[in-house]
Amino acid sequence: MGLSSMTDRPREIVRVDGLVKNFRPGLGLRSKRVLHGVSFAVREGEIFGFVGPNGAGKTTTLKVLMGLIRPTSGRASILGCDVGEAGFRQHIGFLPENPYFYPFLTGREILRFYARLCGVESSLLAGRVNDLLALVRLEHASDERLSTYSKGMLQRIGIAQALIHDPEVAFLDEPMSGLDPIGRKDIRDIILRLKAAGKTVFMNTHILSDVEMICDRVAIIVKGRIRYEGPIREFLREDELRSDIVLARLSGETSRELGERFSTTIQTVGERVEVQVKDGQLQSFLEAALGAGADILSVTPNRVSLEHIFLEAVEEGEKADAGAGRGGGGTP
Amino acid sequence: MTGSLHRIWPIATNTVREAVRHRLLYTLLFFAVTMIGFAVLIASLSYVEGERIIQDIGLASIRLFSVGIAIFVGIGLIHGEVDRRTIYTILAKPVTRAEFLLGKFFGLLLTVWLQLLLMGLAFVLVSLSVGAPLDWGYAAALFLVGIELMVIVAVATLFSSFSTPMLSAFFTLGIYALGHLSRNLYFLGQEAEVDSVRRAATLLYRVLPDLETFNVSIQAVHGLPIPASEVAWAVLYGLAYTTALLSLAIYIFHRRDLE
Amino acid sequence: MPVIEEGASRRRGARFRQGLLGLGVGLLGLFVADAVHLRNPPLAGESLGDVFVPDPAVAGLVSLGFGAVVSDFYWLQAIQAAGGDVRITPELGAHLGQLIDVVTTLNPWVDHPYRFAGIWLTQSEQNVRTANRLLRRGIEKHPDDWRNHYYLGFNHFFYLLENAEAAEVLEGASRLAGAPRYLPRLAARLKSESADLEVASVFLQELLRGAQGEAARESYRSALDEIEIEQRARQLDGARVRFRELEGRDIETVDELTRGATPLLGALPSPEPSSLPASLRRGSEWIVDPSDNRIVSTYYGKRYQLHVPASDRERAEGWAREKELREAAGR
Repeated sequence: MGLSSMTDRPREIVRVDGLVKNFRPGLGLRSKRVLHGVSFAVREGEIFGFVGPNGAGKTTTLKVLMGLIRPTSGRASILGCDVGEAGFRQHIGFLPENPYFYPFLTGREILRFYARLCGVESSLLAGRVNDLLALVRLEHASDERLSTYSKGMLQRIGIAQALIHDPEVAFLDEPMSGLDPIGRKDIRDIILRLKAAGKTVFMNTHILSDVEMICDRVAIIVKGRIRYEGPIREFLREDELRSDIVLARLSGETSRELGERFSTTIQTVGERVEVQVKDGQLQSFLEAALGAGADILSVTPNRVSLEHIFLEAVEEGEKADAGAGRGGGGTP
Repeated sequence: MTGSLHRIWPIATNTVREAVRHRLLYTLLFFAVTMIGFAVLIASLSYVEGERIIQDIGLASIRLFSVGIAIFVGIGLIHGEVDRRTIYTILAKPVTRAEFLLGKFFGLLLTVWLQLLLMGLAFVLVSLSVGAPLDWGYAAALFLVGIELMVIVAVATLFSSFSTPMLSAFFTLGIYALGHLSRNLYFLGQEAEVDSVRRAATLLYRVLPDLETFNVSIQAVHGLPIPASEVAWAVLYGLAYTTALLSLAIYIFHRRDLE
Repeated sequence: MPVIEEGASRRRGARFRQGLLGLGVGLLGLFVADAVHLRNPPLAGESLGDVFVPDPAVAGLVSLGFGAVVSDFYWLQAIQAAGGDVRITPELGAHLGQLIDVVTTLNPWVDHPYRFAGIWLTQSEQNVRTANRLLRRGIEKHPDDWRNHYYLGFNHFFYLLENAEAAEVLEGASRLAGAPRYLPRLAARLKSESADLEVASVFLQELLRGAQGEAARESYRSALDEIEIEQRARQLDGARVRFRELEGRDIETVDELTRGATPLLGALPSPEPSSLPASLRRGSEWIVDPSDNRIVSTYYGKRYQLHVPASDRERAEGWAREKELREAAGR
């Protein structure tokens, strides 16, 4: 690939500049602006989370990137090629939201179909299909029709087709929505394996725990406007991120002392002591507690704070919209 | 170009596979073959020219049902892919929209040609069983039905590329009807006193397909000569018209947002 | 969302199955209705007007390339209407004419329906004229088939007393392959009715020269023979008229024309054709036929004329008078 950058900065895989998209709901109806100048960039080798509530414009942006819809204005490029072209698609994989495939085909047939579309050589085709079936753990159902597949199986076959031609970049639209916890873990593992193999992953999601767990960088989109772009840790403002700790065998005095030292409230419920500490102080708190002879029953990252931050961003967006007098758009 | 073919072909074969796993096709095929067989009963009502009536009904059934299949499979051809979002994953592959559209077109065309072949076989069997004449004229008639189907499939593809199945069916049926009328309308128009009416009739005739070009079933059944040159011109006309329709379809489909 | 999607596709499937079921039930109903209908076919007289008969031009427009089967449909209607022990009224005849008009407009290459019109449309001059129009359409599409010509000629002669037209049509037919050998003779006879034996004779001689094959030539020769005898018979008729003027009475025998003070004829012409070989001569003679008091050769036994039933003849003459009256009124 003669595309690799000569500079030290990681090369930009996806570049979006001032993307605007108006939809005309019907003949004679006033067109509706769904994207208000969206800009962001995805760097090589990272897992990029494109985060926002439902209807924020995530899928619309992704459709522009996939060349399915044309932006009203602005530019989008992937691997240095304008998204209107078809050439770069050899190097990208795409999993749409709630993917739906020809129900009359079997899992193996649909993968063969996509492999042939990507020009996978026929000598390699069978092996490639088997590899992908193994990756998404669908070997057992490979000769059953997709109409018999469950939601999770469809999602996994969707990932398999996205990766059938070993692309450099994977675009995944809500890859974990609607899946049970085991299914989500399966998908997470596959994404992390892609990163380990040096691939870039672009992921649309509204589920924050997924973002926190695997994304390197995020862009937050609210009502068609980007509210934040950068490393996930920075966005989360680590000093505000807390964990809930449950302890046992901690004397009342020690707990008061710890509470003062870490400036937090300690609640005692019978034998158990519950405390919330900032993530930055987590290690020293645990050391101090252990030093005082306490048993640590559980440490749980507190998600409430993340949701809170997220909601704040959304509210800010609403305020901004009210100021601009424009309605945001739902994802069509 | 060969690269395009490598992408068009899987889409086409997949379309055929989808169609042949569809029950509607068998239902229509069943009715068509039943009609061809039923013709023997109907023809027995006439004390003369029974074989001719059998073949009239047989060829009409073939034309009616194959056009029916072409329209009712064709109208949802593109729309179904967009509606079910199966097109998203396909267009994310190195497949241009033109290649996708052509793949769907050829897939449907192969399907309707396949069932035309089956109906033709039923026609031959019935003709043989009643001792009706069979010669190359019938082959030419069925071949031209195939060319007409190509044009109809292209019309359905065009409408399906931007419209809902309901509207596509309406439009395609309309074009089918007008296509069989266009020659008569042209002749009627030429008799008009007013100059602008004559010009409008001519324009309409140029724009609409003249589907009667592909209808030589009467000539076949009556053993009238069907010159090879006439067949060749019909094929050329069909190909040119189909190319025009597909070009327009690709142009529209390229500009379309796939929401 | 996926649940809704699956639901929608399931609903689509259900709608599709319902549609199929509806179609199936509909077709079955049609089939049963037809079966019942055909078990008790309506009387043709009653069925008149049962079927909407479209204007042929409109039918051609709206049949959208399916003219052949629509034509077949109306053909079966026509057969039904004319079939059975039904007296064809002038109205039913007109209805049949409309049906056959549609049949032959939608598919002009049909064969029998043209003659069907010739056979059945005989109840009024209007119907015969319609039949002739249809037969002419048939001749246009099947110019090599003598039968439509024959029916047309017959109509002109038999129903319309238009012998000249009839002869003209039959002449055309007589040249066609497969035409019966008596056609030229028939044409010639029509000409003899219009008292133009000379023309008929020339016409037959022309046909004889161009004829292919001995059988055809023989038929022309025998027709010419009949004309020869008819010409002689008319010569004798002329002599008989003068005999009556001179003698004040009619002849008893044909011989009388050669006898008396001033014989009108030196000798009687031969009652047998001159081309007849001596071996086949059988001593025929001229006699006055007691049944109609006309001079005939015993060789043929009757004069050269088509037999026309009196009733039809009267009817035809009635039309001819009506026509004259109409034309007079028109002037």
